Amino acid sequence: MQAVAGIGLRAPHLAEVARDRPETGFLEIHAENYLAGSPALQTVERLRQDYEFSIHAVGLSLGSSDGLDEAHLARVVQLVKRLEPTLVSEHLSWSVFGGRYFNDLLPLPYTDEALAVVVRNMQRLQDALGRQVAIENPSCYLGFAQSTLNEPAFLAELVRRSGCGLLLDVNNIVVTAHNLRLDPRQWLNLPGEAISEYHLAGHAVNDADGQPILIDDHGSRVGEGVWALFGEVVQRFGARPTLIEWDTDLPALDVLLDEAARADTTVSMAGRHAACAA
Amino acid sequence: MPLALRDLQSAFVAHLAGTDRIDLAGEVLGDTIPAAARLRVYRHHVRESLSTALATTFPTVQAVVGADFFRQMARDFVGQSLPEQPVLAEYGASFAAFVDGYEAARRLPYLGDVARLDWALNHAFHVPTSGRLAVADLAAIAADQLTALRLVLAPGSTVISSCYPLDRIWAISQPGAATETVDLDGGGAHLLVLRRPDDAAFVDLSAAEATFLGCVAGQASLEEAVTAAATIDPAFDLATSFARLLALGTFAALQ
Repeated sequence: MQAVAGIGLRAPHLAEVARDRPETGFLEIHAENYLAGSPALQTVERLRQDYEFSIHAVGLSLGSSDGLDEAHLARVVQLVKRLEPTLVSEHLSWSVFGGRYFNDLLPLPYTDEALAVVVRNMQRLQDALGRQVAIENPSCYLGFAQSTLNEPAFLAELVRRSGCGLLLDVNNIVVTAHNLRLDPRQWLNLPGEAISEYHLAGHAVNDADGQPILIDDHGSRVGEGVWALFGEVVQRFGARPTLIEWDTDLPALDVLLDEAARADTTVSMAGRHAACAA
Repeated sequence: MPLALRDLQSAFVAHLAGTDRIDLAGEVLGDTIPAAARLRVYRHHVRESLSTALATTFPTVQAVVGADFFRQMARDFVGQSLPEQPVLAEYGASFAAFVDGYEAARRLPYLGDVARLDWALNHAFHVPTSGRLAVADLAAIAADQLTALRLVLAPGSTVISSCYPLDRIWAISQPGAATETVDLDGGGAHLLVLRRPDDAAFVDLSAAEATFLGCVAGQASLEEAVTAAATIDPAFDLATSFARLLALGTFAALQ
């Protein structure tokens, strides 16, 4: 896939995209929205003939201490085989416990024990798919006292042991770094060659007992702080397929395409900057 | 001694369900934002995102009761019934029964049936298209064997019978519908929900047709289903009703 920007394809935009076929680098869908056989899946299958696709899973729960839900895994495998996307990704988090699904990307302690769990689950996922999966750094609202690694070190070790790729979400870096009082430049130590995609999105600022806390709500334009860090990330690691994610208060399709155009501009400016610095 | 991962996740799940766990709070780094406030972000998100998912699946229920009432009802449902798997379009199978017993909605006795209709439409929309029984398929069957035939409803075909005019309630609850009132004593409704090629929809049935299809769904033979329909309406005409139901794509193709 070319290192250009694409957009998250959401149900309210499906008919418009199918009709107008806007120019964009790729389309990303959430796997869990297409596991049943709705007419939306038929539309996506037709779009697949004209677009590169990325399948972003949100419910495999790679951090579950009890292992993966094999029934759910089988459905995701079937979808991936059907659409043959260019990219497949999941999150560094957990969302299933005791046969219940929590519809959230819940935080993990960054310990050797958790690393072994995620490595095992990631290997199971990649074996089932017969391909590499990229793992996304999450937005965190808390950190655990028992963590012995920082997040980039945990991710780097996960990449080394499982052979997975990385999906670097620049908004999530900004959100986590702010909420946990960390330096966002920590994430510039990641193994760049493993990064296969970037994510960009908007976040909200909420109040937590009188203190601002950033919430990864994907409900607005990409923030200026995120754009600035994205420029640094591209200078450090180079260009990659870059996604504009928007899930709540979904705007007109043109707004997403406009954000994607800004991502492409940022990438080319960062490339020129890197060339001048060299 | 820090909690092992499985114990940590177990404690986190208890927290999400509304139990404040001191052992969990002790694991969380706090500063100017205390651990409890950080944990609350997750509890809030789980409840609100699942309530939003229910609003997507039950749009007519939400239109009837309004967004605020729906949100509280959905939160109460989430509190006692979490999804068992990650496909949110498949979450809410027991919502209609929950609405039936929801004290605050007691004055809306038809609301559970509205939820049943929303759920059936949602289910029909999400089943894959599949082969349907056509007139030509029946031509190969000898006339005297037709009555013994046991048909299967196509995936997504659901019969809903209500004591209330569910079709009218649904119609006036659609976006852009004119403001009208529905006479709740104006008679019940029998509806057949169907997966169509590009969407899901429902059609009105007569009481006898609903009985007929209910019997077919229960694996009765056509003859048994006709007999049951005739007890509801002696004038039930199989040829007319069957032709209509066939044309709608009600039945699955013969195996």
